[in-house]
Amino acid sequence: MILRMNGESAVRFDEAFSAVGEKLRRSTVQVFDGRRGAGSGVIWRADGWIVTNAHVVRGNSARVRLADGRTFDAEVMARTAERDLAALYVAASDLPAAEIGASTAVRVGEIALAAGSPFGMRGAVAAGVLHGVGPVARVGEQRWLQADLELAPGNSGGPLADANGRVIGINSMIAMGLGLAIPSHEVEQFLRRVMRRREAA
Amino acid sequence: MSTSNSTNSSAALVALSNDLANAVERAGQGVVAIHARHRVPSSGIHWQKGVAVAAEHTIKRDEEIQISLPDGRTVPATLAGRDQGSDIAVLKFDAGALTPPEISDSSALRIGHLVLAVSRSEGNHLGASFGAISAVGGAWRTWRGGQLDQFLRLDLSIYIGFSGSALVNAQGQIVGLNTSGLARGMAMAIPASTVHRVTKELLEKGHVSRGFLGIGMQPVILPAAVRERLELGSESGALLISVEPDGPAAQAGLMLGDVLLALDGQAIRDTDDIQAHLGSEKVGKDLTASILRGGALTQAVIRVGERPRRGR
Repeated sequence: MILRMNGESAVRFDEAFSAVGEKLRRSTVQVFDGRRGAGSGVIWRADGWIVTNAHVVRGNSARVRLADGRTFDAEVMARTAERDLAALYVAASDLPAAEIGASTAVRVGEIALAAGSPFGMRGAVAAGVLHGVGPVARVGEQRWLQADLELAPGNSGGPLADANGRVIGINSMIAMGLGLAIPSHEVEQFLRRVMRRREAA
Repeated sequence: MSTSNSTNSSAALVALSNDLANAVERAGQGVVAIHARHRVPSSGIHWQKGVAVAAEHTIKRDEEIQISLPDGRTVPATLAGRDQGSDIAVLKFDAGALTPPEISDSSALRIGHLVLAVSRSEGNHLGASFGAISAVGGAWRTWRGGQLDQFLRLDLSIYIGFSGSALVNAQGQIVGLNTSGLARGMAMAIPASTVHRVTKELLEKGHVSRGFLGIGMQPVILPAAVRERLELGSESGALLISVEPDGPAAQAGLMLGDVLLALDGQAIRDTDDIQAHLGSEKVGKDLTASILRGGALTQAVIRVGERPRRGR
């Protein structure tokens, strides 16, 4: 049991935490829609597809800033109000895409990390555990990943990840002290629909 | 690219993550949801076969209570007893094939130990929050007169359904009953040993009895001259400012104006010192009171009564 935190396991834990946090930060972007403060987004595909919350980008275009400092103009390709998701596209082909995890296989109590720009602070990482999975009273019938960690408005659109740094959700709102994230498999379905439509056009 | 590297370096985090999820899964087999208040259920622990414990303050009705179980069933439950002092309520239900979880002692917990609170909520979903033990103390008398064997303060977030959830250690063992109802919303845990003791008493009697002397007191400083003349060790005592007619103290001959100096040889410096002599195990037992009356020392034997139960 590694929870007997002797000095050695605490150090190993510390190193692992910073490595996973770094991995997650690389594929997290800041999203500016011009008028308001920044939200966050996740580089979902290396060839330019970025996902964020619909409420983060109100217009048809936005600017994104990568962790490495590069900035791009992004086009808002699609949004879905019922799930608060938006797909952004930037003209690039070598983006550090996130590794996507299996949001259908998550377990209550497992470690969850969030990256984003709470209060405009770039590259912040928060850690906690997955509090629960399923609908949330008075928020609707949808399935949420409910995370027991400290989020702030600038985390909107950013990643919720597992202990391997694989993205399992998009942080979307804070309710009753819990961070609510849209499961990554729903994000994947949304993005596939958007890309199919684009190919058909 | 760096995938294998990052997988290696994240191993400690993944191992911790799996341990925590395993702990929740294991403990969750003993955690139930209790429907005894408006809108949202609270949590409870399947403490012994067919007996669940919950946080007393979350039980808002005495009847039509239901329990959602780890096996997916929701069954009726009856309230066997409740104790406001320790914030513990005991419910009985048909456990079917369910076996109660292993309950462990909390005395090994130290400040900084990692712990989980495991709840069961609406729709029979498990919920967890993760944090650390932030304070450990000795026996603690609650503000409502209950006696906890250990003071356990938790540093973790409180969410709906937290009260009545299980305090789970890193090994996945249940070591206490969580509540935010004992100290102004602060996250605390009632140690397993206290839950055992109170549950036993509630199952036997339906309530937790408290000793009763039938006196009202205030602390007084003893005059130096009196202390010297009578060679008294302590500087203060408890002045009787009311004596209930026919109460245990009145029957033992105590009178208004007496100053209580000691009970069973233990000094009474303050009214709080009396509480230690009034646990439920003292009811019906005799206490020898040392009293200062009219400038002289005297003694009386008081048979401890049971505090009358007030209507809720």
